[in-house]
Amino acid sequence: MIGLSQEGFAALTPVRQALRAAAEKQAGLFRDDARIQARALLDGAKAEAAAILAAAVGEGEAAARSEAALRSARARRQAHELVLVQRNNLRLELHRRVRQAAAGLTSDPRYPLLLGRLTEQCRELLGPDAMVTEGREGGVIAEAGSRRLDISLPVLAEMALDTVPGVSELWSR
Amino acid sequence: MTRPDADADGSALPVPPSTGFAALVSHGDVRELRGPLLVAGGIEGVGWDEFATIDMDGGERRHGLVLEIDHDLATVQVLESTDGMSLGGIRIRFEGRPLHIPVGAGWLGRVCNGRGEPLDGGPPIAGTATLPVSGWPLNPVYREPPQEPVLTGISVVDGLTTLVRGQKLPIFSVPGLPHLTLATQIAAQATSGGRSFRVVFAAMGLTHADIAYVRDRLEERSAGGELVLLLNAADDPVIERILTPRIALTIAEHLAYAEDHDVLVIMSDMTSYAEAVREVSAARREIPARRGYPGYLYSDLATLYERCGRAKGHHGSVTIVPVVTMPAGDITHPVPDLTGYITEGQIVLAPGIAARGIYPPVDVLSSLSRLMRSGAGENRTREDHLDVAAQVLAAMARARQATELAELIGAGALSETDRSYIQYRTSVEKGLFNQGRDENRTLDDTLDRAWEALSALPENELTMVSTAFLKRYLPARDDRS
Repeated sequence: MIGLSQEGFAALTPVRQALRAAAEKQAGLFRDDARIQARALLDGAKAEAAAILAAAVGEGEAAARSEAALRSARARRQAHELVLVQRNNLRLELHRRVRQAAAGLTSDPRYPLLLGRLTEQCRELLGPDAMVTEGREGGVIAEAGSRRLDISLPVLAEMALDTVPGVSELWSR
Repeated sequence: MTRPDADADGSALPVPPSTGFAALVSHGDVRELRGPLLVAGGIEGVGWDEFATIDMDGGERRHGLVLEIDHDLATVQVLESTDGMSLGGIRIRFEGRPLHIPVGAGWLGRVCNGRGEPLDGGPPIAGTATLPVSGWPLNPVYREPPQEPVLTGISVVDGLTTLVRGQKLPIFSVPGLPHLTLATQIAAQATSGGRSFRVVFAAMGLTHADIAYVRDRLEERSAGGELVLLLNAADDPVIERILTPRIALTIAEHLAYAEDHDVLVIMSDMTSYAEAVREVSAARREIPARRGYPGYLYSDLATLYERCGRAKGHHGSVTIVPVVTMPAGDITHPVPDLTGYITEGQIVLAPGIAARGIYPPVDVLSSLSRLMRSGAGENRTREDHLDVAAQVLAAMARARQATELAELIGAGALSETDRSYIQYRTSVEKGLFNQGRDENRTLDDTLDRAWEALSALPENELTMVSTAFLKRYLPARDDRS
């Protein structure tokens, strides 16, 4: 390859400079454009990230709220059930004591009269041939064929507790 | 004069009358144990449907209902099944009457099984009165027409199929859809305009997972003393399932008519109930009718649904929302079919809508509340309610046509108006119908969302609402003058 002469090289200098200036200008434009695009992309990405974050926060808060509501509901239910169980224990204790007290009525002077009346009731319901015996815990037990009537004192006590109005208030207050 | 049984001071140990003792007579002649049935002999004076208590040798106590009487034989269905029972070790006491339950505010806040026995560890429910669970439908002469809305906080229900105090409005669904979620959301959120509101939730044949969901979701209402929960699980005895809605309604009637509350009774799922009726009918050897259900299924369902309403001289009301799952989506199945004859409209859930991710997946064009006019509109909800509901539905019908047309000829070939209807459908489904499972919307919010959706349509298409309402409620749009 034959190199340019000194004069020729010098004559091309303005062309080279013009080309270089144009290239630099073009590069500058590209750079600015790229910066703008990069900024726009970055802004878009940041906005999208913020939106995703906000949505995630929203969903997380909603999930946490419903989880908290669920936990508090379960805790409240457990607490309520504890109260209910205690009330039931009170009721069972009352029944136990009333049954116990009823068994003690056998020494009451009015007991023979009661026994007589209960025997009458048995015969009225099961017929005159019913076999009536005194129960172990007081009261009577009658049998006629396959039919049986248990009106022992504990059974009577349970019946009384079930029918006396306002008894439930003793444990539900 | 002193009574012969009195002692010296005139007092006597009280002896309950013998009628009370009659229920203590026990029968030991048990001749047969067959599946859930027990046959007892030597029985006299016992009637159909009578409630019985079965005492076992070990002290265990079970319960039963008399299914059949034949001479001196009584067939009793044992609620807890006959497992572990043996002939000779059982005695039966007949109560002399069908099942009675105590009624009153003592039920509120309690969780019980399908026959009303506590599941929450508490004492048995104490009541202010005792009533038969069979109840009796309201005398037509004493009925007041349903009136005023029950607001559920669910847009598609409040806006388009408004529930009215004293109405019976079923939810028709198919297995797999969120009908239980919807029913539970209604139970959790429903109110009646500041009046005292109570909910009785009767779960029938639900799985234990579903029961756990219902309990968690309704805990707040339960803790507030506004809810009665009766839970009959899928593995509980079927005869108990027959009692569950009756117990629920007996409690509800007393709360409504004796204590003046507005009571909402949710019954889910009535198809499980009807299957229990079929099973018991087969055990009674009755002649089966359509699909094996007994011929009296219609009147049986009517004895439940007709217990809703409002009564003269009472401020309370009983509103019923039964859930009916249609096997294989068949709306002609006897249970939805007969339910549809008795109830006053229906809320229909559709799998296609659920597949688009919309909750609740209500097919608004198949749903209807026949009494909506008694509960919505001026002085009841909002002046524009009925008009805007009619417009939303009319536009949905037109949107369906436009969508079908677009499938045939392509959306590009549609007119601009038809395209706006398709856009409206998306907008109404996303903005109005779709809702969070624990989102409680006010009626104003619902109606504003309806107007927002309607704003996707050209104004001249909104022919079912007055110009005054258009001016007042239609949101402004850039391209609209």
